[in-house]
Amino acid sequence: MDFKLSEEQELIRENIRELVKKYLDPIAVEIDESSRYPAEVIEQLAAGGWMGMPYPVEYGGAGLDYVSYAMVIEEISRSCAATGFTVSCHTSLASGPIFNFGNEEQKQKYLVPLAKGQHIGAFAVTEPGAGTDVGAATTTATLDGDSYVLNGIKTFTSNGPVADTFVVFAFTDKSLGGKGLSAFIISKDNPGLKVGQHFYKMGIRASQTSEIILKDCRVPREDLLGKEGQGLQIAMSSFDHGRIGIAAQAVGITQAALDESISYSKQRVQFGKPISKNQAIQWMIADMATDIAAARFLYSYAAFLKDQKQPFTKEAAMAKVFAAEMSTRHTSKAVQIHGGYGYIKGQKVERLMRDAKITEIYEGTSEAQRMVIAGNLLR
Amino acid sequence: MPRIIACYKWVVDEAYIRTDSSPELDLEYADKKMSDYDRNAIEAAMQLHEKYGGSVAAITVGHPDDTKGVKDALSRGPEKAYFINDPSFENLEPAQTAAILADVVTAKTEYDLIICGEGSSDLYAQQVGPRLAELLDIPCVTMVSKIELAGEQLIAERKVDDGIETVSLSLPALLTVLPDINSPRIPGLRDTLAASKKPVIEIVKDELSGDFTPCLQVLASFKANMERNGQKLSDEAADIALLLDTLQSKGIIARGVK
Ligand SMILES: Cc1cc2nc3c(=O)[nH]c(=O)nc-3n(C[C@H](O)[C@H](O)[C@H](O)COP(=O)(O)OP(=O)(O)OC[C@H]3O[C@@H](n4cnc5c(N)ncnc54)[C@H](O)[C@@H]3O)c2cc1C
Repeated sequence: MDFKLSEEQELIRENIRELVKKYLDPIAVEIDESSRYPAEVIEQLAAGGWMGMPYPVEYGGAGLDYVSYAMVIEEISRSCAATGFTVSCHTSLASGPIFNFGNEEQKQKYLVPLAKGQHIGAFAVTEPGAGTDVGAATTTATLDGDSYVLNGIKTFTSNGPVADTFVVFAFTDKSLGGKGLSAFIISKDNPGLKVGQHFYKMGIRASQTSEIILKDCRVPREDLLGKEGQGLQIAMSSFDHGRIGIAAQAVGITQAALDESISYSKQRVQFGKPISKNQAIQWMIADMATDIAAARFLYSYAAFLKDQKQPFTKEAAMAKVFAAEMSTRHTSKAVQIHGGYGYIKGQKVERLMRDAKITEIYEGTSEAQRMVIAGNLLR
Repeated sequence: MPRIIACYKWVVDEAYIRTDSSPELDLEYADKKMSDYDRNAIEAAMQLHEKYGGSVAAITVGHPDDTKGVKDALSRGPEKAYFINDPSFENLEPAQTAAILADVVTAKTEYDLIICGEGSSDLYAQQVGPRLAELLDIPCVTMVSKIELAGEQLIAERKVDDGIETVSLSLPALLTVLPDINSPRIPGLRDTLAASKKPVIEIVKDELSGDFTPCLQVLASFKANMERNGQKLSDEAADIALLLDTLQSKGIIARGVK
């Protein structure tokens, strides 16, 4: 057992910190306010090989282990949670299923440009009537000659407005229930795929979220991902990976809240002394740091299991629910430590508190994580 | 096609030095980093390499534990590194560092150009570059802010007090560069992962041809203390006179200013 980062991992962390400080810190407030997609930062990340971290070099990636990958997501999210999620959604939710379930042609055609960051990926399973209950989806895929014809509406698709490549889920046979769901790779150039309404969000506002409308969307047979009926398995496996990234994102958000709280409480003087001299403030900071450390170990352990090719579904769910809930709790405390100033736009903790909440919702709500954990324990 | 050697020092990262009420510096949590201007030195070497071809090697003298520094240097582009190390090479006197570098550069390398940072982030003695050039008997140009090659000739711009000085010299030569010369790139993920696979030529003390037992011993390091009197003065004439008197009596401003 080893809790120490390798020299390589330390260097990777220093480099991503430097990159984020140079390119993301200066615009984080602005892109939150205007809900702007930071294309210029994504370009920098692509140039440095940060958009396909865990995929093999022969597929355009960097061949990085998952523990380090999650650490990088934490560091990006510490500056801007929206950008951290853009990278994580692109990497684990969109590129992941193509790497794990795609055939060689699909990998060459779709994964390589995704992993190089030349293309951006999105993952569309959620529908207006099918959130936690993925099986309630109504999007259909009907085989017609050499292609499937997809019809339906996907909602809350992250990266939807900026993506080049979509992994989309639809029923090839609704009568089979979950076993009738299939996954497809669709290019943004497909005339049957349209970006619908954009959503105006509470947090992670620089991440772009929209509906995806599929109207007689013809997808060639060779773009079926995996086998017909494998959709649910592909979706669940993608969430397993993705949740490690969301846990890391939540840790990054909370670490930023801690950084801000420490520096502010040492500076802010009330009753003739810095507020950090009060035990009430000290305990908030101590609890925050303790939960951050625990959550970091949880996501690192889930990632370690994945690197070891051992099952990690339960551990990823544990990491996600713990990290997400402690993040909403402590970012609220961080605002408390900042008093009225923490409630004002432009203060980082104000943004952090809004950004934290989503980590309890997407890639499975906290309730869904507990269902996964309990389901594993009570089998 | 210049063969370039870039020198770097792996130093304590001042951002991690803690200070509390004790007079000594707390280095317990201090990480190390590449000396700031040495990043510029490596970047300058890489930019020349990208423009004119040739090769770039990194070289350092340090403690055997400083392996992270070797990876860091290699992730910035050089194709190989010379890692001269010994547990006693931690607090070397700049003259000794230069002598050790000269010993290895002469015995183990072929070069056209050596690039150093103008000074190190910890001592900033600005000694190693010029001394190394002297020992190798090659020309040295300091305070360099721009480099170009024209055949065997090197044209360097130096930023000096009263302007920019352009000098030309023939290779082999040594330059010490200022931070203005470039903005070092941030190594990409693949650069860092590739660094571990590049060749490192390790040279231990026994392989050196001289006796390089350190002649400098660090007994303790104290933080610089700024004493404040906390005396408050108004803009009344009497107070202004008092301020001038006090500053003069302490020798901070010259007498006769009144
Ligand atoms: C900003 C954002 C980005 C997103 N990005 C994507 C994306 O890229 N791709 C994608 O496909 N989806 C995405 N989603 C969708 C997200 O994954 C869903 O919102 C989430 O799964 C919850 O679904 P729902 O919103 O329909 O809530 P519901 O499923 O309706 O849940 C409502 C509440 O009921 C609870 N609940 C539901 N079922 C149960 C149960 N059986 N037991 C106990 N409690 C239950 C839930 O936990 C929740 O508290 C995104 C959502 C948002 C807001």
